[in-house]
Amino acid sequence: MIASISSAVILGVDGRPVSVEVHVSNGLPGLTMVGLPDAAVRESRDRVRAALVSSGLPWPRRRITVNLAPSGMRKAGAGLDVAIAMGILVASGVLTPEAVAGLAFVGELGLDGSLRGVPGTMVLADALVDHRLVVADPSLREARLAGGSCVSAPSLAAVVARCTGRRPWSDPPGTEDPDDGVLGAGEEHPGADLSDVLGQPVARRALEVAASGGHHLLLVGPPGAGKTLLATRLAGLLPDLDPQTARDVTRIHSAAGEPRPGTGLVVRPPFRSPHHGVSAMALIGGGSAAMRPGEIGLAHGGALFLDELGEFPAAVLDALRQPLEDGVVRVSRARGSITYPARFLLVAAMNPCPCGDGGIPGSCRCSPAARSRYARRLSGPLLDRFDIAVRVDRPTTRDLIARQPGEGSAAVAARVLTARRRAAERGVAVNAELPAATLDQAAPLDDGARDLLVRHLRSGRLTARGLHRVRRLARTVADLDGAGATVAVPHVAEALFLRGSRALVLGEDVR
Amino acid sequence: MTAEHPDDQACAAALVDLLGMTPVRLAKLLDGFRPTMAWSAVRAGTHPGDPGRRFAAAARSSDPVAVARRYADAGVAVLLPDRSGYPAALVGDPGAPAVLCSSGDPSVLEARPAVAVVGTRSATPYGAKVASDLGRELAAAGVVVVSGLARGIDAAAHAGALSAGNGATPPVAVVGTGLDVPYPKENRVLWDRVATTGAVLSEAALGTVARPGVFPARNRIIAALSDVVVVVESHRGGGSLYTAEAAARRSIPVCAVPGSVYSRASTGTNELLVDGCSPVRDADDVLAAVSLVRQGRGMPQASPARTPGRPRAPGPATPADRVQRSVWEAVDDTPTTVETVLLRTDLSLAALTTAGGELVELGLLTAGAGWWARA
Repeated sequence: MIASISSAVILGVDGRPVSVEVHVSNGLPGLTMVGLPDAAVRESRDRVRAALVSSGLPWPRRRITVNLAPSGMRKAGAGLDVAIAMGILVASGVLTPEAVAGLAFVGELGLDGSLRGVPGTMVLADALVDHRLVVADPSLREARLAGGSCVSAPSLAAVVARCTGRRPWSDPPGTEDPDDGVLGAGEEHPGADLSDVLGQPVARRALEVAASGGHHLLLVGPPGAGKTLLATRLAGLLPDLDPQTARDVTRIHSAAGEPRPGTGLVVRPPFRSPHHGVSAMALIGGGSAAMRPGEIGLAHGGALFLDELGEFPAAVLDALRQPLEDGVVRVSRARGSITYPARFLLVAAMNPCPCGDGGIPGSCRCSPAARSRYARRLSGPLLDRFDIAVRVDRPTTRDLIARQPGEGSAAVAARVLTARRRAAERGVAVNAELPAATLDQAAPLDDGARDLLVRHLRSGRLTARGLHRVRRLARTVADLDGAGATVAVPHVAEALFLRGSRALVLGEDVR
Repeated sequence: MTAEHPDDQACAAALVDLLGMTPVRLAKLLDGFRPTMAWSAVRAGTHPGDPGRRFAAAARSSDPVAVARRYADAGVAVLLPDRSGYPAALVGDPGAPAVLCSSGDPSVLEARPAVAVVGTRSATPYGAKVASDLGRELAAAGVVVVSGLARGIDAAAHAGALSAGNGATPPVAVVGTGLDVPYPKENRVLWDRVATTGAVLSEAALGTVARPGVFPARNRIIAALSDVVVVVESHRGGGSLYTAEAAARRSIPVCAVPGSVYSRASTGTNELLVDGCSPVRDADDVLAAVSLVRQGRGMPQASPARTPGRPRAPGPATPADRVQRSVWEAVDDTPTTVETVLLRTDLSLAALTTAGGELVELGLLTAGAGWWARA
């Protein structure tokens, strides 16, 4: 007897439909599995057998062959357990093929016959929308995010009972809890508020402009200046995700099996801060058989924070350049290639030089050679991606003790939201995405501002490439100030200052 | 054996040029030996200063006449203590180099008083300005400005001395690398100008590259050549304090330029002042110290024609408005971060950067990466 059951596996951030074919015939009793299963899939034979037996269902004492089609693609994960079990039941005649017609199964089996959820349920459900999908109870809410028809059951025995019509399909209690899952993904610093930052008006302003315009931000300063504290406050300034981005973010986090506070849609922008020991694969993705998305994919829609930028291996940093430009990652491996969105706000922090006190002439103890060695770790093209580069200094004692707490995240986030609405009126999500060709129309300069830019261009302080970035930045500054359509001198002056200079990182000598 | 008989100068050049030669080893080889004698003894492996015959093999494969020609072709003169051309100030000095290479004409040192203007490589705009002003005014007053052609203060002092114009006294540099290896590279032009107008001296062979140790060693020559040593800016423990120490050991007066007590670049100089060095406010303070030392021999004849510096406070026409003035008031002479100015002025960042940019264009402020300083 032959049975064919629909299921799916994950590759990258996409589900791939898999058809589980089971053949039961006379011969030496045993189970053979073919179709490039990985270790977790191969082990499912023992789980399925135990689950069937403990559910009071018969295990055929005949020769069983399981084929996972398409057989050329590697299958990873334990999500195929239920489909294999159902296939064996149909092929051995316990269930009729009609009982499973139009159904697809995703879930892992416990030895006691219980159903367990698997990571990436939303993505898997996406690949199986034309079926009625059967998942484990805890995964039902996530599976329904894909929009298809989904049902759930607590155990294998319950699945069999419902397929045969002896019991009706019913939702477990609590599925419709509206508060479930409205939290952000990877929100590592809940309760981190900008009011914790004392003084440091320049850095606060840089953070606000970065969040408003989607401008990549580099914070340069000595140890203990509060660079990390500032950067972690960024997530709280970003507005909620729009529905499409929320779906993408949820898919990526689901596919990567990242822990999320709920099972619903991720609506808060993620904030990812990989350690500088991260490998290029962990950052870009594609490391495992399932080609799990990397940190930059997980940061899609939110912020990627690279603390101690100078400590990251140069090869890892340069791998960031293509995604920063395109907003998508294409990973190609021998097993295949995947593409996933990676549009994020890059925030980085670093010391100006090895001793940490450089940047201001006369204060650095490093030799010029040590300083240029340190600066050489960052490639020019990567530094160029940072629209904003500001110096962060240690707050003064007076700031730490006497000042009132700074402005809170909520007030700043409100201004950020207003500025982003103005960008949306121009047809882009953030000003950093304004195409160069539309700048004259979207960010027209008044005469003074034009003169100022021309003077900077003539003196070589500004490159043609930097000009567009400064104009976008000035547009954001003007939006935050509530200025009209025209960009004026103060906006350009502030943008030129925020853009900073290579010298922030390279150190400088007065000669 | 070569057909030509090499003279003292050629042998001295050949000795300097031997691989692995250092000033200390060279002094040992030439202690009590004429260069021709020392050369043949080293070749023969019988020199008591070279008991390990370290240089014997290298010397046998070297031709002093060819080496001398190579030095002459590079425009480098080889100076020996008992020959003319060797700076008189170094004769009898305990640390005097046994052989000194020179490109340019160091004879100006014999006629004029010399002042060393030295300091840190990571100078502040303030320090660079003081060094440049001192260099220019001292050169105009007929003083040889001696320094090391390093980054920062040294370069500013040399550039200042050269900017004093045609009638002024040319500067002299003492460097640690070979005379054909300008270091740091960005000072190449300055290096050439000092060599053409004054002189660049080195005790290293041609082709010697920068390496730790050569710079502190050349500092003793800078000190020994000078009548007065002025330290413009130095960190605590900075390299220019070697020069000050070498000067103190030779009873040469050391002066220091006072700096902000908050500036790290002035910690060393401010400590020198605490230790009793006389403070330097302008070239007149230095000239007073020089006249005490020289007491009539070869003093500059007339009072120097001082080039007036820029006025300290901006004139009534500048800055243009109240905002600019308040920004200018909030910026120190030493680099002040924009954040500090922002806290002092209570302006918005946009208004502040606008006014700051205008002040920079007016030449009233200098700008760096995230900081301003008064020009």
